[in-house]
Amino acid sequence: MDTITETAVTAIETISRGFADIGYICDQDIATALFLARQLQKPLLVEGPPGVGKTELAKAAAEYLDLSLIRLQCYEGLDESKALYEWQYGKQLLYTQVLREKLADLMEGAKGLDQSMERLNGFEDVFFSEQFLLPRPLLSALKSDDGCVLLIDEIDKADNEFEAFLLEILSDYQISVPELGTIKAKVPPLVFLTSNNTRELSDALKRRCLHLYIPFPEPSREAEIIATRVPDLDARLRTHLVDFVAAIRRQDLKKPPAVSETIDWARALILLNAKDLSPDFVASTLNVLLKFRSDIDIIEPQLTSLIRESAPATDPRGV
Amino acid sequence: MFMLGDFIRVLRAAEVRISTAESIEAAAIVETIGLGDRQLMKVALSQALAKTDEEKEAFNACFDDYFGAMLDAVKANDGSTSNDEQDKASLSDDNQDAQSGNENEDDAIANDNLADMLLNHDEAGLSARLAQAASAAQMSDVRLFTQQGLFTRRIMEAMGLADVEAAIQNARNSGDGVYEANLRQARQSLFEMSRDFVEKQISMRTANSGKLVREEALSRVKLSNLDRSDMHIMRGLIEKLAKRLATLHARRQKRSKRGLLDVRKTLRKNQSHDGLLIDLKWRHVEVSRPRLITMCDVSGSVAAVSRFLLMFLYSLDEVMPRTRSFAFSHACGEITDLFERKDPEAALTEALMRHGGGSTDYGKSFTDLAHMVMDDLDHKTTLMVLGDGRSNYGDPGHEILREMSNRCRRVVWLNPESKALWDTGDSEMKRLGAYCHSVQVCNSVRHLERVLDDMLRLSI
Repeated sequence: MDTITETAVTAIETISRGFADIGYICDQDIATALFLARQLQKPLLVEGPPGVGKTELAKAAAEYLDLSLIRLQCYEGLDESKALYEWQYGKQLLYTQVLREKLADLMEGAKGLDQSMERLNGFEDVFFSEQFLLPRPLLSALKSDDGCVLLIDEIDKADNEFEAFLLEILSDYQISVPELGTIKAKVPPLVFLTSNNTRELSDALKRRCLHLYIPFPEPSREAEIIATRVPDLDARLRTHLVDFVAAIRRQDLKKPPAVSETIDWARALILLNAKDLSPDFVASTLNVLLKFRSDIDIIEPQLTSLIRESAPATDPRGV
Repeated sequence: MFMLGDFIRVLRAAEVRISTAESIEAAAIVETIGLGDRQLMKVALSQALAKTDEEKEAFNACFDDYFGAMLDAVKANDGSTSNDEQDKASLSDDNQDAQSGNENEDDAIANDNLADMLLNHDEAGLSARLAQAASAAQMSDVRLFTQQGLFTRRIMEAMGLADVEAAIQNARNSGDGVYEANLRQARQSLFEMSRDFVEKQISMRTANSGKLVREEALSRVKLSNLDRSDMHIMRGLIEKLAKRLATLHARRQKRSKRGLLDVRKTLRKNQSHDGLLIDLKWRHVEVSRPRLITMCDVSGSVAAVSRFLLMFLYSLDEVMPRTRSFAFSHACGEITDLFERKDPEAALTEALMRHGGGSTDYGKSFTDLAHMVMDDLDHKTTLMVLGDGRSNYGDPGHEILREMSNRCRRVVWLNPESKALWDTGDSEMKRLGAYCHSVQVCNSVRHLERVLDDMLRLSI
């Protein structure tokens, strides 16, 4: 193995361990993506089914790098005045009111409208200075002094126009404000974009990002996640639970249970002091795992067989 | 040895869209992580190059195919670099020694004789040779499957076929029959190995370009002349086009929702603010969902086109959710429910069975249709008729068509026959066309796409 690779592999392992320490279990894919995003200073577009920890990844990255997290939640109709900056109209009005007399003084002696206008022109810049600029998430991310993690959450919910508007930030870490000129990032932020794939993102956006797809985790990795998040759960029960959830995901469901729901269910098991997965118990708590009536109707009749199939091999009641 | 550009070309052939910026990024990634860890490289490159589910899948397949042999070769080579120099020096005179039974030779040296590599089943060494030979033979230039023989030959020669031939000749001269047979078998396995390799390379590089050309050609071909074997490609093509149309028009519908500034309303609303325009009012644009009623001839010649029109329409239900469809030949019947219950293929077959056959009777069919939909026709409805207008010298039903035409927004007539044939024989296009807002020739997928695009555009 050459030295470059060795350095890279070590760095990736360090990231992986560091994330595990703060409670986020990541596999090689994720750790590599983080490594590359940092090395190449590229935004990272994270896709995957809901609840696999896309948003958590950005939060964990902020914690790991000890940077502040700036979050922009996208929704339909989000525009630049809410994402980038806004003039504080109220403040501007108030100041003009308060300074009215001062203005009158300044205007004194001006002859005619033309001259007054000329004088007033001289002060215009005062009212469109950074003092009256209200920074929204994107601008604060660019202006932060020692870098930050910028999370643009659920970009697929925003309109196409907004997506296009983001391109300048994503490729050059800068933004153009007509009244002020171009604002460049002091330290390029680490940008995460997440998407649930409710619509296809444009090629232009994808081209500017590294693309990470997080699928539902392997049972072994999910067991690790549960072990970190819900440490009190008995190991045997944990394996059974994870395998059972994996079996459910293989069914044709409207919304398969996410990792976050597995965690919730594991917590429920502890609260209810369950010793093993009995069909009755599972049936009564199935609504933690499945959120659609039709899904529950599909799973319920097969409960007994699903539980038996997913039971650990060592379990005496198993086969 | 490592050719990123070539790999990217292979990916593009597999319909992974890669821009120049992305290839530069890939090069930067290779520089950052080195070539030492194949799994790491696969993960890292896939993050930079493949950006949808399908692309990731294609990427993984291509990566395994492409680097499967290649990287092993690199490794095998790295391992023996130290020996390489001396090997080359001794190569020429070792040829004879190796097969005259000199077993004491160093393994590494023996490795360089192709015949021995084959006889000893030295997989790593062989694949290294193969990879070298592939670049020597300019494998990346292969374009057509007919070049298979040529490239197999080139590669075998570059790997050292001559040595093996010479060894066989020698063995025959010295009368060593067993050894000769072994060598012949070795040559055969060399041939098979090279052929497999070339086959794989060709399929990797050309499979999809063929498909793209085919799709392009199919979108122009007359639907009635379509070969049965092309049906599945056609279906994929139609879905692709429908998806494109749907996204295009879904976006337009959304935009028209936002509207313009309504000056009058804004001024009135802001009178209480001393005339300062604080609260803005927008004029809303009514988004009318197009309502489409289609009437398709499912008899004989026109059936093929009807089939695709219906297939197209039902792939568009995202932007045209309220489509009703009717099939007619000697009489007319509704087939909307068939498509709602079944997948398009099965629904089509059943529709053709139920209403197909029999000679076309436009008069009766229009009367039937009028009975079923007359009350539903309004200023939002578009009526689309697909047929050749040949009424077998019977009543063309233009009176009823006129009545329907007066009630709806638009009547579009699509005729699969070319214009020269209209109004010849029993064709009634002149009389029927008089009551249509537009009459068009429509007999290929390209025509279909244009017609539907126009319709979506006008209906907003």
